[in-house]
Amino acid sequence: MPEPGGTVAGAGGTPASRVRVVLADDSVLFREGLARLLADRGFVVAAQAGDADELHAAVHREAPDVVVTDIRMPPTNTNEGLLAAQRIRAEHPGVGVLVLSHHVETRQAIKLLQDAPQRVGYLLKDRVSDISEFTEAVRRIARGGSVIDPEVVAHLLRRHADSALAGLTGREHDILTLMAQGRSNRAICDRLFLSPKTVETHIGAIFTKLGLLPAADDHRRVLAVITYLKNA
Amino acid sequence: MTRRRWWLLALGIVLLGWILGGEWVSIHAHVPENHFIDALPGLSFLLAGIVALDQRPGNRIGWLMIAYVVVSYLGNWGNLQVPVAPAIGSSIGQQLGGAILAHIALSYPTGRLRTRFERAVIGIIYGVSSLTSLVILLAFDPRAAGCTRCAWEPAPFPSRTTVMTANLVAQRLDFILVLLFLAAVWLRWRRVTPAERRALAPLWVAVGVVCLVDLLGAFASPFPVRQPFAYLVWELQSVLYVSVPLIFLWGLLSARLARSAVGDLMIELDKPLPPGQLRACLARALGDPSLVVAYARDGLDGWVDADGQPRPLPEPGSGQQARTVTMVERDGQPLAALIHDPALDQRLVCAAAAAAGMMIANERLQAEVRAQLEEVRASRQRIVEAGDAERRRVERNIHDGAQQRMATLALSLAMLRDRVAGDPAIAACLDQAAAELKQAIAELRELARGIHPAILTEEGLPAAVEALADRSALPVRVHADFNERLPGPIEAIAYFVVAEALANVTKYAGASGAVVDLSRRNGTLRVEVTDDGIGGADAARGSGLRGLEDRVSAVRGSFRVENPPGGGARVRAEIPCDG
Repeated sequence: MPEPGGTVAGAGGTPASRVRVVLADDSVLFREGLARLLADRGFVVAAQAGDADELHAAVHREAPDVVVTDIRMPPTNTNEGLLAAQRIRAEHPGVGVLVLSHHVETRQAIKLLQDAPQRVGYLLKDRVSDISEFTEAVRRIARGGSVIDPEVVAHLLRRHADSALAGLTGREHDILTLMAQGRSNRAICDRLFLSPKTVETHIGAIFTKLGLLPAADDHRRVLAVITYLKNA
Repeated sequence: MTRRRWWLLALGIVLLGWILGGEWVSIHAHVPENHFIDALPGLSFLLAGIVALDQRPGNRIGWLMIAYVVVSYLGNWGNLQVPVAPAIGSSIGQQLGGAILAHIALSYPTGRLRTRFERAVIGIIYGVSSLTSLVILLAFDPRAAGCTRCAWEPAPFPSRTTVMTANLVAQRLDFILVLLFLAAVWLRWRRVTPAERRALAPLWVAVGVVCLVDLLGAFASPFPVRQPFAYLVWELQSVLYVSVPLIFLWGLLSARLARSAVGDLMIELDKPLPPGQLRACLARALGDPSLVVAYARDGLDGWVDADGQPRPLPEPGSGQQARTVTMVERDGQPLAALIHDPALDQRLVCAAAAAAGMMIANERLQAEVRAQLEEVRASRQRIVEAGDAERRRVERNIHDGAQQRMATLALSLAMLRDRVAGDPAIAACLDQAAAELKQAIAELRELARGIHPAILTEEGLPAAVEALADRSALPVRVHADFNERLPGPIEAIAYFVVAEALANVTKYAGASGAVVDLSRRNGTLRVEVTDDGIGGADAARGSGLRGLEDRVSAVRGSFRVENPPGGGARVRAEIPCDG
């Protein structure tokens, strides 16, 4: 079934809006595959890196729109990707970072969002096989948004099924899930085939029911929602 | 009797004649003093000197005492009405005795000066005394000294004033020399080892007596008729002087006295001794608190202390804190080694070791058992740590290998699927494969988490425990008072304690929640999992908790399961995490 995101990918094909990407992963095979996939979809892969040092050098040199990095890289093979993400966000505020991992943990997602609630993403590595979703995530980060893995969101929602979330309607629940993943109102409209007016009404209701202050822009909204879910 | 003893006897007789002859000369010169009391210090120094030479050959103190006897009775012989005698008597005889006494005191108990400063101080004292002697010798006026029959004068410039001035200057300089001497004594006290300090005790007694004698000098007078009380003080001085050489002699021979301490040791060892007390007993008997006993291993190289901990022998002659090693053997096999202060009398150490032979053999066996226990414990720790290291390795291999390849494969399948969108049959087939792969990836992820969670590798214990709490079916609160990384095996063991304890709470406790506390204090990591369930947790029953106990104690930790009366249960592990 063709995804709505497919049209977005096509829109990125024009040279003016081509997103420049730097890839970092210590597995050459995966990196090359990812580079080919992104190039096919109209991205410019400006550089590839095998560890954090190479990544920082490439970011400094290329000033890309988005960095896609593995969480674990040499030399210590622990959380280099996460640290690199924080450093890049601090030193190059215009560069977005998407961290990929074989495992997702709520704590790491929150850590990323807390330091820079914009232009960050955190996804399971095998999400790349959902090509349209993945390329859309990279574009969303390039546009200043955030991306949180659905598994993290699902897990958080599952844990709090019996709390204030019980008061949400099914539709509101769906919208909260998409918000927590970092999707904009526009994306939510497209996904759920709703009008912008309806989505806004639902979001207002959700914020009231959860006792959250309405967030000014939908980029920062994801942090508010995730933090709420984590601490509820 | 040996030849040496004959010589010493002859020397003793000659010097006895020297002293008594000196007194005889004084009597005939009508010197107003008690000649018996005047002879006593000399006799005492002579006796002490001869005995010291006999008992401690090679020790120079004996010779110094003999020299003191010779010099200090020159003054008496100076009353002889012959040429040169009065001059020598009142120069060398009056000036050099004090220098020799200072030399004895500072070189005690070996007779050797050790530091450059000590040599300098004694050199200066001898120099000043000799110079004064020389001046008096050159300016001596025998007529002024009352020698009317002195035919030949050695003094080229006789001058009574010069002699008196020289005496006066010498007296003034004495004060500075005494200060220098005391400084050298003090420095010596600072430098010596405890055992030497004990051996120096007689020196302090002797120095104290000499100081007392000097103090009394202010009130003393050699004239019994005019000042009877002052004369008594004067006699008391002489009597006190008698004790000085005897005190030194006692010190020199005290190693022999200490041998009776070995007797006390044997009595002490007759009673059963608490383990590890043998070292203290030997240290007490030998007067060396720093003494160490190292035991030989059974059929192994290396030495251990009473607790079975490795205790290497010191390298011979290493550094200033040089130690002496005395071997204790039985049937030609080394049993133990006593590591002690080089100042201890070697024969005394051997005597003590022989007295404690049976106890040393016993303690060696106990030390052997402890050492073996320690080895077993260390090997258990290595096994547990190797197991954890293996888990980390497997997790890493899965992460870098299978997971990475499967992610790459999923990517390739997706790209292929993208290209064959026009062929529904192939597309459906690829969708099927992709779904299977997705499932495999998810299963592999869970498998890797069970072996060693990635977040533990990536972010350490508090983060991993938080993630664990996050996934727990029950609400779990986590408190951690640290955020830094700990050694890998410690993190793994603590993590599995929490994981197993939480699994237990979920399965059996009927609890509504649990609290995990992680804290670090004084090099110990404490892990506590408390629940509000029905209690009844028992490490002896559940094999899971039992396994945890084994793993925690393998790294020298402690593990406890408590069921407080008010309900709930608490699992507590304390793991040393230094380094």
